[in-house]
Order: sequence, then structure tokens, then C-alpha cells
Amino acid sequence: MQQSIEDELAFHREMAASHDDSIPLGNTAVIAEHGYDLWRFNFLENLWRDLLYAARGLRRSPLLVLAALVSLGLGVGVNATMFSLGTELLFSQPSVRDAGSIVAIRFSGNSHSPHQVLDFLAASGLLTDVVGENEEVISNYNDGKETRPVFSVLTTKNYFTGLGIPVLYGRGIAPDDPDEVAVLSYAFWRQHFGGDPSVVGRTLNLDGRMCTVVGILPEHHRTLIGFGYSPEIYMPRYLDSTILAIYGRLKPGMSIPAARAGLVAVAKRMDQAIPVDYQYEQGLEVSPVAGYARLKYESDTLAMAVFFALLLVVTGLVLLIACVNVASLLLARASARRREIAIRLAIGASRGRLLQQLLADSVLLSVLGAAAGLALAEVSAQGLARIHLPVPIPIRLQISPDWRLAVYGAFLAALSMLACGLLPAWRALKESIAHDLNREKKMRLRRALVAVQVAISVVVLTTGFLFLRNLLHASAISPGFDVVHTIRANVNLPSAGYGNSQEKYAYIDRVVNSLAALPGIESAAAARVMPFNGGTHFLVDLKFPDDGQKQRARFDWNAVTPGFFQTLSIPMLQGRSFAASDRGQHAVVVNSEFARQFLGGRQPLGTVFLWGADGKTPYRIVGVAAVTKMLTIGEEPKPQLYEALADIDNDRREIEFVLRSAIPPGLQLEPVRRTLHNIEPMAGAEVHTVYSSIGLAFLPSQVGALLMGSTGVLGLLLASIGLYGVMAFSVARRTREIGVRVAIGASRADIARMVLGDSARVTLGGIAAGLLVAVLVTKPLAMFLVPGLKPGDPVNFLVVALAMFATALAATWGPILRALKIDPASALREE
Amino acid sequence: MGKAAQPALLQGTLDLLILHALRRGAMHGYAIAQTIHLLSEEVLKVEEGSLYPALWRLELDGAISAKSGLSENNRKAKFYQITRRGEKILADQEATWERLSAAVSRVLAG
Repeated sequence: MQQSIEDELAFHREMAASHDDSIPLGNTAVIAEHGYDLWRFNFLENLWRDLLYAARGLRRSPLLVLAALVSLGLGVGVNATMFSLGTELLFSQPSVRDAGSIVAIRFSGNSHSPHQVLDFLAASGLLTDVVGENEEVISNYNDGKETRPVFSVLTTKNYFTGLGIPVLYGRGIAPDDPDEVAVLSYAFWRQHFGGDPSVVGRTLNLDGRMCTVVGILPEHHRTLIGFGYSPEIYMPRYLDSTILAIYGRLKPGMSIPAARAGLVAVAKRMDQAIPVDYQYEQGLEVSPVAGYARLKYESDTLAMAVFFALLLVVTGLVLLIACVNVASLLLARASARRREIAIRLAIGASRGRLLQQLLADSVLLSVLGAAAGLALAEVSAQGLARIHLPVPIPIRLQISPDWRLAVYGAFLAALSMLACGLLPAWRALKESIAHDLNREKKMRLRRALVAVQVAISVVVLTTGFLFLRNLLHASAISPGFDVVHTIRANVNLPSAGYGNSQEKYAYIDRVVNSLAALPGIESAAAARVMPFNGGTHFLVDLKFPDDGQKQRARFDWNAVTPGFFQTLSIPMLQGRSFAASDRGQHAVVVNSEFARQFLGGRQPLGTVFLWGADGKTPYRIVGVAAVTKMLTIGEEPKPQLYEALADIDNDRREIEFVLRSAIPPGLQLEPVRRTLHNIEPMAGAEVHTVYSSIGLAFLPSQVGALLMGSTGVLGLLLASIGLYGVMAFSVARRTREIGVRVAIGASRADIARMVLGDSARVTLGGIAAGLLVAVLVTKPLAMFLVPGLKPGDPVNFLVVALAMFATALAATWGPILRALKIDPASALREE
Repeated sequence: MGKAAQPALLQGTLDLLILHALRRGAMHGYAIAQTIHLLSEEVLKVEEGSLYPALWRLELDGAISAKSGLSENNRKAKFYQITRRGEKILADQEATWERLSAAVSRVLAG
């Protein structure tokens, strides 16, 4: 290790002193400074010179540069895109002031609480700000021509000021505003008002109330919920009964455990002040809303985090393949510069300097490749943000590049620089001293590199293929009801005129009859919940009066009209659907899974159990239906229970109508809309075919297939480029040998077989190694696959191996043709 | 440079002297200065302010190379030695010096 300049000068003075020389005059600091300048300038000068030289050299081989830039650009681009996507979904910060100090609070495990709880908490002074929102609200927006349901958030009036949410125009809701105000989302504003800022101050008809627009949110506003959820309108809550999700701002310096302790104390006081059936302290939860901290608290997002980690690993492998490509290209190039390097070493250039010069090539390529990759990532991010996900709630991904991406990009560039450049540079130095006998070794190295590429590609391809197969399997799984002939109309009733359940049911009855009477419609029904578009879960204790047994039951609940099962073609396995005679008798239909899990071996039909708010209402099973999927296509069968819509206390304004059509359902959408509008023009209605509404079910498998599948193909492409390069080089090198063989009588088939054999040897090794790794690596992927598909299925590996072979064959085609064209006479004349 | 009483050395000449001294083997900076001092019969005394910049410039040029070593009293020190490139430069510079001093002598004689 070199001594520092100061040490050297200090040593000199010590020596002078010990030899009784006169102490040298002169300021060591000045000398040292002079020295540092000398070294620094030298370094920069060399760096600049190396880069210029490298640039000139690269300009002479445009194909190399193109291949390298494409490889690196794709590798880095894909990586950066996945990174942006992942960080946006998992770590994004909501658009509030000081997001780190905001926490979500749940009492009694309830996601939402009445406003009295909020008011009590605010009054306790425990937290700086306490705000609330109900983000599951659908408002009817009447623009004068038609009424559409719009996703809204009802908030406390201190929501905007307490959280510190920035706005684009106007202002947020203020604590002294009247109830009839609204803040619009950027997307809603652009869609309905064309981005006209003068809409601030105008009034909109929302749910029959005239609300004044006071502000518009910025384009990149992120909600507290995150995951891209973007509601369209914010309004103050105006009903006493609206339940709210509670968020609070911690006092400066307050930790989450301290907040929790404080909240427990508040909960105990609330038990006295506003008592309810359960205790507020049970299921008390305090969790952060921002970034990494939130992930740690919410285990739901774990699967998503694991998926993205997997994705990053896979794209990282693709980048590795790309880097190996570039390294291989640079290796070939370094071999051509052998003589130049040897001469330089002979006239005394230092190894270090030479290494620097050789690395300059890879530095330049890596930096350019990373820049190209980041540009590609930006473009694809824009594309991704525009994708409209087929989910029932509005989700808009905002992937905007930020400092994290820049850091990650720099990291990738540095990594690829090392991966691409070190090996060729080091080899170039070593071999230029030892002349030609190293040519053979280098060829072996390049071939080994290609084998590694093939192996990695096999792993990446196996993953991609697995996800593609998953999608195919998922698409073949039946959801349990008819999605081909059916139509769904989601209706949101206005509050005026439909205050109680009787009025609602009268409307439902009228609509069902009118819809069933439409030409081409075979049957119609209504329900509270539509599969794949929401769900209501219950966890209760059922009591069986016949033997006094209690049973804990968790199930999905729905309330339907009698024609529901027939309309959706859900088979009734036992008994029947609801009849007019069941009115007021609390008749229920359960599905086979419910009967299996909770009835304890009893015959379902006629079984009575006690349930309900008072735990004493008897419910009688009149039918057993087949299982339908509720959330995802790959889910295990879930217990379901159906009540009669006429019997329940219907407190929601949202109703799902389903219709079965004899003619293609797409043709019936307009008649259905008109019918609904005629019956109640103030109700917001969305009418779609059921087929187009169940996109959510397939979303995970589609996303997985798209991302993994395309990465797999990319990896395959890059590996084939690498293989082609090596094979072409190999043929070129063996020109003489081939010429000799042809001259002594080898046939075209012999030559072709020779080249093919060469290529096969390289590929086989890679495939074998790759398959071995793939077997191990794909085992934990089972968590992402639908039941029925095993990651260890030998068919997967067989298909991948065949695909790799086919690709290798295609890549070797060109070199084989070139080999066949070799004319022995000219080949023998070559050096 | 040195005190007024001493003759001034051109920078190129100092390089020449340093390289010549290093012909004798690897030395640290102080030893180089001592060698020059003794060989010149104590006429030339090279100060650290000119010695070290010259040494560093020679090292950056590749005429000499540096290594860490132990001095005679067991202290860590930076040792310099001449390289092949340095040998060539030395040969060139010696030739130039011969021609220069011969030419100057001829002028002064005439």
C-alpha cells in the first residue's frame, strides 16, 4: 500500500533530524498540496484520455456497440421497470405532510368506527390530529344527461388540513366549510371537465345534493390506502351514521408502542362513555401508513412483496445474461488487441494503467447501456400507468422515476461494468504475454460463458413457462356460474324515496320483473353481492337447537332473489331456492362447502340453527347450492350462505342485478340500461356483461404470466444472441480446418454435423446445469399457482429443454450456412 | 530551490540525477538526496520541496516505480526503483547532457 504524501515527508524530516542535518525549511503543507494536485490531475487526465480512446475504438465497431447497447438496455430497462413497479406498489408514500408520523387506528378490529369514537379520540388530546374517511362510498353523479356511479371518499372536515394534502387548484376541504363541498381527483377533472380550472367554484349534482367544487388534486396524489387506489371525489361526511376509518398524527417523538399504550387508556375510558357490545380495546391496532414500515405490519402484502422480490431476481438474471453477452463480445475484441497490448507492456506501461484503459471500454458501454435502459424504463412506466386494470375499483399506478431509481440505475450500471469488463480486461492482460497458446483457452472460456448463459436462460424460461401454464389452467377453471350468457347491472339508488327496506325491495321487485320481460332475456334476479366484485364475510357462532352444539362458522354472505341460482346457472344440489312461502321465515340456502364444514354430519335440508344479532333467531336450510368462486379463480372452495333479499334489513343503496340472455349478452346492454333509466332515472347504473366484470379473478394469474413470461422470452432471446456470436466466431476461427476437411472429401452433411455437434456440446451442458437449478428454484413458487399445477411437473422441464434446443438450433443455423460456404482453396490460403 | 550560495539546477537535470542515483538500487527519498549530495562532493543539496515533486512526476510518468518497505532503522518508508522506461529516459538524458555541456564548454572557450 502506498504511503501517503504526508507520511513520506514526515519520514524525510525524521531522517534529517536523526542524521543531524539541518532541518529542511519549507512548508510541508504546500508541498503536500502540490503533490495531491499532481496525482489528482493525473487521474482525471488519464480517465478522460481512456474514455476518448475507448469511444474512438468503439466507433470502429458499430455492430458491437449496437449489440451491447441492446442487450444492456433491455436488461437494465426491464430491471428498472420492475423495481419502479415494486417500489410504487409496496413502498409508496401517501401525499400527506410528514407521512411517517401518520398511523391507522382500529378499535375492536373494526376497519371503520362511528364518528363518536373519532370525536372522543380527538378530544382526548392523545394525538396531534385525528381524521377519518370512508373510502368505500359510491355517489351518483348527475351531469344533466345521465347519472353515473362514482367512487368517492367521505371525510371529516379536518381531513385535508390535518393531513396536509397538497392540491393543484383551489384548496382542500376546510373545517368551517358547509357540507356541500367537493374536491375532485385529477383524473375525474380531466375526464369530465377537460382540465378546465374554472370548474373550481361550480356546483355538481352529487347524490341529489348540489356541492361546490373547492379544489382539484394533483396528478400524482397518492391515497392513504395506497396500492394505486384513486377515488374520484372527496366530500365531507354529512350523515351521522357514516362510519369512518381512523387516522391520527403522532405527537413529535411519540413511538408506536407509546401511542398504543395511550390508545388502550382511551379505549378503557370509551368503554364507560360510549359503551357497546364489544370492548374497544380488543383487536386494537395501530399501524404506520407509509413505506417500508407499513409492509412490516400488514401481512397481506407479504405475498405481493415476495412476488416482486422473485421478479427482481428473475430480471436480475436476465441482466446477467445480457452482461455475459457483452463480456463475450469484449473478450473477442480484446483478443484482437493482443499485439497492441503486448507492445505497450514491452515499452513499460504499468499493468494498472493498462487495466484502466481496457476497462474504459466496458465503462463506456455500461454507462450508455444503463442510460438507454433507464430511458426504456421511463417509457414502459408511462405505458404501465396507462393500463386500465379490470378491477371494480379505480386503480391508477403512478410510476414516476425518482432518486431511488437513479441510485438503482447507477448500481446496475456499476454491476454490469464489472461483470462485462473485468473478465475480458484481465484475460487480455494475461494472455498478451503468453502468445497464441492462450487462444485455445480463451475459446473454452467463451464457450463456458455461453453455457452459463444457457443455464440461466433455462431457469428464467422455466419460471416464465410455469406462470404461462398457470394462466392457461386458471382460464380453464370454472368459476361455478355462467359467465358467458349473463349480464350484470350494478345500480346505486338515490337516498330520496328509498329510505327503508320495503321501498328498496319494491323497486327491486319491479326491476326484476321488467328485466325478465325484455325480449331475449330468459331470467333476471337481484343480489347484494356479485362474485368477484366484492364480498361480505361473517365470522359467527352458530347454535344448533337439536343438541345444543355450538359451531364457529366463517362464510361469505349474500342476499338474493329466488331466481338468482337459475339465472347464473348455479346448480342446486339439494332442495330448492326461496319460495313465496318462505317470506319472513328466515329461510337460507347454503353451499356444499358450508354443509360439509359446519353442519357436523347433519342432513342439510330442514336443519335449523340459531344465529343473528341476538343469537336467538332460527334459520332453516331449504337448499344446498354448488360452490362458486368469490375472489380469485384459484381459491379453495369457500363456505357460502344465501339469505332471501326480501327478508333482510337492506341498509345499502347498492344492488346487483343479474340477467340471463338467450342472445349474445353484449347486444342486451342498451335495452337493460334504458329499462333501468325508465324505472328510476336518478339511480346510477353500470351495465356490463358478466364476462367483462370478472377480470379481477384472473388478474393475479394474468399479471404473473405477463411479467414472468415476457422476462423468460427476453432471457431466451439474449442467450440465443450469445450463442450465435460464439458459434459464428468458432466457425470463422476454424475456417482453415473446415477447408482442409472439405478438400479431403468431407461432405456438406459432415461439416454441418460438426458445427452442430459443437453447438450441442455447449448447449447441453448449459441445459443440464440450468434444469438442475430450475428444479430447486421453482419449488417455492407453488404459492403463486392455482391448485392442480405443480412446479415440479416434468412436462415443464421437458418443454423448456426442447425450447432451448430449438433456439440453439436456430441460432446455429447462420454459422452452419457460413461453414458450408467455405471454399477450401481460399480457406487454405488464409493465415 | 536551495540557498542562494548553491548552484541552481534545471528540473530536467534533477530528473537525470535522481535516475542515475537509482541505478544503484532501490532507495527512499532521503537516501536519494543523500546520494546526490555525497556524489557531488557535498556541492548539491536537494531540498524536499524540489525532490519530492520530481520523484512524484517521475513516478506518474512511469520512469520509476514505488514500493513500501522498511528503512535501515526499521521504519516504514516508500522506496523507489528505476523501471525499464526509466532506463531509456536516463540514457536519453545522459546523451543530451553530454551534448549540452560540451556545447556550453565550446562557447565559453571561444
